Amino acid sequence: MELTINGQTHQVDIEPDTPLLWVLRDELGMTGTKYGCGLAQCGACTVLVHGQATRSCVTPVETVAGAKIMTIEAIETDPVGQKVVEAWVAQQVPQCGYCQSGQVMAATALLKQSARPTDEEIAGAMVNLCRCGTYNAIAAAVREAAQA
Amino acid sequence: MNDMTVPAQASSTGAPLNLSRRGFLGASLGALVLGVALPARQARAQQADAPAIKPGTRVNAFLEIRPDGTVLFRSPFMEGGQGIFTALAQIVGEELDVEPTQFVMEPAPPGPDYLLIGGMRFTGGSMSVRLSYDAMRRLGAAARQMLLQAAAVQLGVPLAELTTEPGRVVHAASGRSLAYGDLAGAAAALPVPENVTLRERADFRWIGKPFARLDIHAKSTGKARYAIDQTVDDMLYGAVQHARRLGMEPGDISNEAQVRAMPGVHSVHRLPGAVAVLANSWWRARRAAEALEVNWTEPASGTANAMPADFSTEGHLAKLKAMPGAGLDFETEGDAAAALAGATQKVEAVYDAPYLAHGQLEPSSALARFNADGTLELWLPNQAPEMFQADAAKVAGLSPDKVILHSQLLGGFFGRHFLYTTANAYPQAILLAKASGRPVKLLWSREEEFLRDALRPMAVARFRAGLDANGLPVAYEAVAVGEGPAGRWFGRKTDKVDSSSVEGIAGKPYAIPNRRIAQIHVDDPMIIGFWRSVGHSMNDFFSETFFDEMADAGKQDPYALRLRLLADKPRHKALLEAVADLSGGWKRGPFTAQDGTRRARGVAMASPFGSEVATIAEVSLRDGEVVVHDVWVAIDPGSIVNPAIINAQVNSAVALGLSSALFEEAVYAEGVPRARNYDGYPILPPDRMPKVHVRIVESGAPMGGIGEPGVPGVPPAVVNAASVLTGKRIRSLPLSKQRLSAGEG
Amino acid sequence: MKKLAAFVVLAVLAVGAGYWFATRIPASPFDSVGSATAPLPVERGEYAARLADCVACHSTEGGKAFTGGLAMGTPLGTIFSTNITPDRETGIGGYTLAQFDNAVRRGVAPDGRRLYPAMPHPSYAKMSDDDVRALYDYFLHHVPAVRQENRPTTIAWPLNMRWPLAFWNLAFADAGSYRPAPAHDEIWNRGAYLVQGPGHCGSCHTPRGLALQEVALDERDPRFLSGALLDGWYAPSLRNDHNTGLGRWSEEDVATFLKDGRNQHGVVFGSMMEAFNNSTQFMTDGDLAAIARYLKSLPGDAARDGAPWSYQAAAAPAPAGPMASGARIYAARCGFCHGSDGRGRNEWISPLAGASSVLALENASVINITLNGSGRVVAAGVPDAYRMPALRDQLSDGEIADVLTFIRGSWGNRAASVTAEEVRTLRELTNAASSDPIVLQMR
Ligand code: FES
Ligand code: FES
Repeated sequence: MELTINGQTHQVDIEPDTPLLWVLRDELGMTGTKYGCGLAQCGACTVLVHGQATRSCVTPVETVAGAKIMTIEAIETDPVGQKVVEAWVAQQVPQCGYCQSGQVMAATALLKQSARPTDEEIAGAMVNLCRCGTYNAIAAAVREAAQA
Repeated sequence: MNDMTVPAQASSTGAPLNLSRRGFLGASLGALVLGVALPARQARAQQADAPAIKPGTRVNAFLEIRPDGTVLFRSPFMEGGQGIFTALAQIVGEELDVEPTQFVMEPAPPGPDYLLIGGMRFTGGSMSVRLSYDAMRRLGAAARQMLLQAAAVQLGVPLAELTTEPGRVVHAASGRSLAYGDLAGAAAALPVPENVTLRERADFRWIGKPFARLDIHAKSTGKARYAIDQTVDDMLYGAVQHARRLGMEPGDISNEAQVRAMPGVHSVHRLPGAVAVLANSWWRARRAAEALEVNWTEPASGTANAMPADFSTEGHLAKLKAMPGAGLDFETEGDAAAALAGATQKVEAVYDAPYLAHGQLEPSSALARFNADGTLELWLPNQAPEMFQADAAKVAGLSPDKVILHSQLLGGFFGRHFLYTTANAYPQAILLAKASGRPVKLLWSREEEFLRDALRPMAVARFRAGLDANGLPVAYEAVAVGEGPAGRWFGRKTDKVDSSSVEGIAGKPYAIPNRRIAQIHVDDPMIIGFWRSVGHSMNDFFSETFFDEMADAGKQDPYALRLRLLADKPRHKALLEAVADLSGGWKRGPFTAQDGTRRARGVAMASPFGSEVATIAEVSLRDGEVVVHDVWVAIDPGSIVNPAIINAQVNSAVALGLSSALFEEAVYAEGVPRARNYDGYPILPPDRMPKVHVRIVESGAPMGGIGEPGVPGVPPAVVNAASVLTGKRIRSLPLSKQRLSAGEG
Repeated sequence: MKKLAAFVVLAVLAVGAGYWFATRIPASPFDSVGSATAPLPVERGEYAARLADCVACHSTEGGKAFTGGLAMGTPLGTIFSTNITPDRETGIGGYTLAQFDNAVRRGVAPDGRRLYPAMPHPSYAKMSDDDVRALYDYFLHHVPAVRQENRPTTIAWPLNMRWPLAFWNLAFADAGSYRPAPAHDEIWNRGAYLVQGPGHCGSCHTPRGLALQEVALDERDPRFLSGALLDGWYAPSLRNDHNTGLGRWSEEDVATFLKDGRNQHGVVFGSMMEAFNNSTQFMTDGDLAAIARYLKSLPGDAARDGAPWSYQAAAAPAPAGPMASGARIYAARCGFCHGSDGRGRNEWISPLAGASSVLALENASVINITLNGSGRVVAAGVPDAYRMPALRDQLSDGEIADVLTFIRGSWGNRAASVTAEEVRTLRELTNAASSDPIVLQMR
């Protein structure tokens, strides 16, 4: 099956129901996308599929064959992603950092869909868990990225 | 772990310095330098006949100044989000005279140089900065001194004529200067000076400033690597299925042949209390491990740590509540019994708090590889490298110096990565690497992580207070019931109370003339562990909420009563006033907010880990649930290194404290946990995060901790506020267990 | 609780009835057959036991196979399934074939006591002599004997008297094994036999009457397999109802569903997950095709089913109200798996758009699975890659009601809204599903 990730195509030979997360991490060595729960609960595994925030732990790989997938590895090559990362640095968001790949991807997806999101849209889109409690910094960074 | 005493024998786990570890060499080779690192052989030779190493003094064990002027620093403490790498770069950089941004931080390997916590080493108890602050400053100053000496020789000028500016030694008279990177080789050969002068506080450029963290960019771009991300050549992936109850062992596996034939599966293994599958990807290993149909055998009677088949959290709570006796005294003042008997009014209450999981977002993992030279290499998360090294050596049947430990960035910890029997993945990884002859990366699924986490213990506290005719407390008796984690893991004397079981009930600053704080020890059948702020995480909830009960019974405002009882404690009083001021002046409520919701505020104080904290929370009720809008925290850690990190840590602590107050509860029935993932064990989601307002007060008292102190004040402040709205006292957590409704008031 | 015991009105029925009738031992075709027949190969009887899913009720997780002990809640108290291993004292080791037959097909124990109809003997009555003989052979010769006392029911006197059950049987149980319908071919007849007889599909999928009896036992009645509410789940129509039944499924879809536990229309959950884990996946392709043929021959009822569903992209909901709040919750909690378009992910994650359980009039199943999640689907020995989490500890009654109202009203779905009270009621009656794979072992 052929996957298009960060603009590159990859051939993978894998059971069709394998979660995209494990194809990224174990088959393709892209470990920036994290495993937190495997149950769509935390969002640590968030990637973009056609620009939409997608939890890769619950995405059977065959359902995204041929789709445009973007992972955190390419975040700074994406203009919106770049802005988000800058805001993340400015707001000093991460603590342990483990959830942050997913948070940055979720924020990037939001700003791709809505360049000037309302607070409510931010709350609606930024639903990933952070055990370190960086939520206030995340919200501030998303607002900052939207201004930039 | 406020006054946790470190037992003497623990320091003997210190392993010889082992400079041959790959990461170490890799780092210096990559930079193509003559660093100041000692060659491996020389280090070993020194070790053999050298006098005992004084931790924190040997510059070369910590610092490597590279030709480009960057500084590789081996941190004695693990970074898990608390900002310790940045704080150390600020502290060492200040004295070394190198911009903290020039530091490249990595966890130090096991070794006697790093035993900075009373002769041992762990990252926890909010101790890292406060117990290493002086040593790290002296270390930076010593290194600077060595660079100056080397420069004096090279420039042929007297030492006294030299000064430094960030990254350079300067000879102002001749206008010449040398970069640290060019001096490093010569400097490294010099003896470490005994006496150094430290910078004046007033001259600090980085200490005390909101310096940007060093790890932010890597963590915002997915480049930070954690244990789960490590790979080595020829590695197999491992997944386990644990016995549902500790103590059960795997018997026959009815479908072993079938599972072996699953795609990518390499082998099936039996481990103590678990079965495992090795495969060519983790997902395949995991599916296969789940598919194993195992006949588990019941533990033989007397099996250590066996979880009773009939254990339930409900039953254990009932047992704690029914425990008879007056307990062992821990803290007494005056005559509480007599004063109680003579009191005008009595207040009594029993409080409880549940088991809690750590729920750090990165599940446990470990990568193990046996090398041809007989060494074992391990990549794993930990809070205490020497202890892990010693234990891994035991598991592998090697001497500790044969175990090369690569400590990893922690994807959250909160106390999760101590050496808890049965709660770590690395013993399994070692056994699997041995059995398969291949490197093995073992990862616990979230479900297995929840099954084997070491939990914050369940606890009960019984309170009795006596008030005088004016409604002021004159007698106070508190008895904590349960077991503390410090006693479990560092040894407990039966005639002494483990402070981790009473901290937060004991050590309160209020002037109540007759007090008795005691504890009844009850063995906890669970594997219990340290959880951010340890005993304070529940005990301050108990004592500070009961404080409001006393206040209410005596018809006192709880804030005013606290102030009054702190009259002779200026540090506490000032802090309480600071938090009230931060919140716009104390008001308890109920009052109606601008959005029409009915709200109230609660206040609480705590004295955890050498710091003082005052907290106010504002809450309302919605659909029977507590909504927390704002939390104001005034924190006095004595003196500070980085206010931005403190602010972030307080935010984080508020999130965790609130999460425990609102949602968290590990429930067991028939010896097994009900929840195995975040669906059944919810943690604070973003839409329940309150606004957090922080004021840092530097009283100049001895430096206290930062990572944990923000936690304990939150549950009592929230519950005190909620009780104003409901008109009922709430004595049990989490709040989500009950539907709350607005009371009369 | 597995099957509802249907005896609420027994006391009424019993009035004036003859005690003789109620305690007599019925005749069995095996009355003259001794038990000393030559054993059959294990596969023969094991397959019959898979068809009849004996293990589902007569085993417990972690217990030895077929030793019983499963608690079944009834409105009158708890009854426990019995030990059917060949232990002579506590099991059925002393049964003759005729006695075994009477228990399975007529609900009568050797001592004349009537079995509670939690035992689906009205369905098993249709089993062939061959299958009954194979079952007997299996349990007597291939299942290891285990001594384990049966647990008494918690039903109090007088309702614990068994003899009045005979009248329930008289009233509601068909006599005689399945007789092929000459109008249909062999495949259809095989399917009808499996569905009505050993498969006892009607136990869950056929509505029950006042005495909790299934209102129909075969296709002659249009209410047969038309969907029923049981134990907090709604077992949907297995008839050709376009929206709420199998109308949009092909025969192949049906067979695949029973073989793999999933197809593009949905994934087994609730009680069907158990029936799949323990029974249907073990059936031969031929038998599954026969079941599919038979079920697809059952006409739907357009009047009951309403206007045929077709997919419509979700309209933006009004800014406030349950649909808006439901849409928000859906995006945060459900859309990551079921898709923002409600279409699921191939056969791996169920679509919610057009799913019969979502469109059903009864909302018990959607509430239940949202509160409690799904147990693990174990197909060919391998637990599923994706499971539905339990949301009971994360969403309030009102939030679950809102999100289900949104789901039942989006993408062309036109089912009634859900109320917080309905959620609360089920919340109190149910528990979260276990995330452990549970496979009841037969060997
Ligand atoms: S790992 Fe995918 S949502 Fe948690
Ligand atoms: S930064 Fe640690 S989990 Fe979010």
